[in-house]
Amino acid sequence: MSICVIEHDELCALVERLIRQWPVMGPRQRKQQPGFYYFDWLRSADELVWDYVTTTLPPKKAFFPPREPFLEFSRPDPAKVRPITDQGPFVLLGVHPCDLAAIEQLDIAYSDNAADGRYLANRARTTAIIGVDCWPDEYCFCTSVGTEQARGPADLFLTPIGRGYLVEVRTPRGQKLLGDTAQLLATDEDEADAAYFRSEKQRRITAQLETTVEQFADILAEGGLTEVWQKVADRCYSCGSCNLVCPTCFCFDINDDINLDLTTGTRIRTWDSCQLPDFALVAGGYNFRRERWERVRHRWHRKFLYLYTQYGQPFCTGCGRCSRACTADINLVEVSNDLIAYAQREKRNV
Amino acid sequence: MTTQTKPRVAFFDFACCEGCQLEVLSLEEQLLDMVELVDIVTWREAMSEKSDDYDIAFCEGSITREADIERIKHIRETADILVSLGACATIGCHNALKNQFSMDEVLYIVYGDRAEWFDTIPARPISAVVPVDYQVNGCPASLPEFLTVFKHILMGKEYKPPNQPVCVECKLKDNLCVYDKGLLCLGPVTRCGCDAICTSYGHTCFGCRGLVDEPNLNAAQDVLAKYGLSVEEIVGKFRVYNNWPELSLEESQSDG
Repeated sequence: MSICVIEHDELCALVERLIRQWPVMGPRQRKQQPGFYYFDWLRSADELVWDYVTTTLPPKKAFFPPREPFLEFSRPDPAKVRPITDQGPFVLLGVHPCDLAAIEQLDIAYSDNAADGRYLANRARTTAIIGVDCWPDEYCFCTSVGTEQARGPADLFLTPIGRGYLVEVRTPRGQKLLGDTAQLLATDEDEADAAYFRSEKQRRITAQLETTVEQFADILAEGGLTEVWQKVADRCYSCGSCNLVCPTCFCFDINDDINLDLTTGTRIRTWDSCQLPDFALVAGGYNFRRERWERVRHRWHRKFLYLYTQYGQPFCTGCGRCSRACTADINLVEVSNDLIAYAQREKRNV
Repeated sequence: MTTQTKPRVAFFDFACCEGCQLEVLSLEEQLLDMVELVDIVTWREAMSEKSDDYDIAFCEGSITREADIERIKHIRETADILVSLGACATIGCHNALKNQFSMDEVLYIVYGDRAEWFDTIPARPISAVVPVDYQVNGCPASLPEFLTVFKHILMGKEYKPPNQPVCVECKLKDNLCVYDKGLLCLGPVTRCGCDAICTSYGHTCFGCRGLVDEPNLNAAQDVLAKYGLSVEEIVGKFRVYNNWPELSLEESQSDG
């Protein structure tokens, strides 16, 4: 890994060059609603916003689309199947540390056990990822889950400094991507600038879990928190927004869309949510998470207990999207701290 | 499939604006694919021919007169498969707005001193009178869902309308939440299947597809408080489409 400095204009030129070479996805501001951002395919470097607040959907949509037709079929016998693979390589820009950590977690989950060939093929198309450091808002709590300095799969990582960006060149791919971009030598002053940015960012993060992720997993495993779950469920629409905006949620549903000839069709995978009433509906009409509060509990168990136990890290990167997206204001940090406080109270009462 | 074995399809309408049938007509090219699979034998809005011999009946509109009850029962007896088409037929829609008044009062408001010439009963969806095999939700009826239902019928498959709120489809399209724009949206309690078409084009959700099976109306009240809206405002918005059965926030479910 090497470090250099790139001035802002040079970076714009680099983005323009990338856009001419590949499809490039990066954060854009919503035209109608300034201050709100989303990841989209870019037509010019002007559209890209480096200093954005977290987007509505995470950047995973570049390689794991919300709705992805993945094979065409014809029936009846002999059924013919043709995979849909018409997409080529692309570049992903402007990814925050929390989202870089999330991409790494998706890679882990989708490579493990029954590896997901479709996902991995899409990831292999990811020519390069350029990360960028960020300013938090009141929902960010990356410091509580240890992702504030995550670099994950980034080939280049940028930290804003006085004269442009301090660039961490993390892979040979990242070096190649820079091409003839003017790379200035990073001075002590540049390094100090970047360090100041990072410390200032951490200082500004106000939301935090009131225990370690390890102790939180223990609290969830201990159980006896039904009262808290039920109180949250009272306010929960079960609309699935929290899952659908989550950078680490990887559940999906698969449906067949038959054409009007009733013999050909398309198989489509769509992001799914464990908060939806039919998520756990199985044959015979049985639903193993019938009650709203059971589904609420499942989200926390999944993120902070099951996957934590399986992979040694919570599948939450502190991006705060679920709390921002919740119409009913169910805040992940507040609920988690309620759970922690309740468990501590219960313990004292025993 | 030979001509003799093609299922015979009829369209009927009750109290409605006939916009759902117009939607189906707007399928145009796909209509040609459809008539490869079925014979359309009755469709007042689209053709002159008619027949009382049909297998599949698509019925638009609400039941709002005693005579409607007899007519829908006859259609039910004739058809093997009965489909309610659009919001009037599936949830009562605007027609059921009158249900909050006495029937004498609404007759007088509409027909004045000729009120006695007409009869009316509280408006209701078709499923409140006869069993319905399939339903296509929406105002107007969602065309993708209409085609899905059409294909399911021909394949002999059950169709279950999605039991998820509009938020799901809205999020999948990466829309900014309507509440973030400071507007009141019924998306969180409204059944999806419309591909969030209204919110994707800058509107709010009006709830035309009816409520999900277990709407959390208690959460709705919390949200109203958060955005400084009154229960009257949301009830008013709910009532545009959802009047059957009588809506009651007091009886709201808080869980499961």
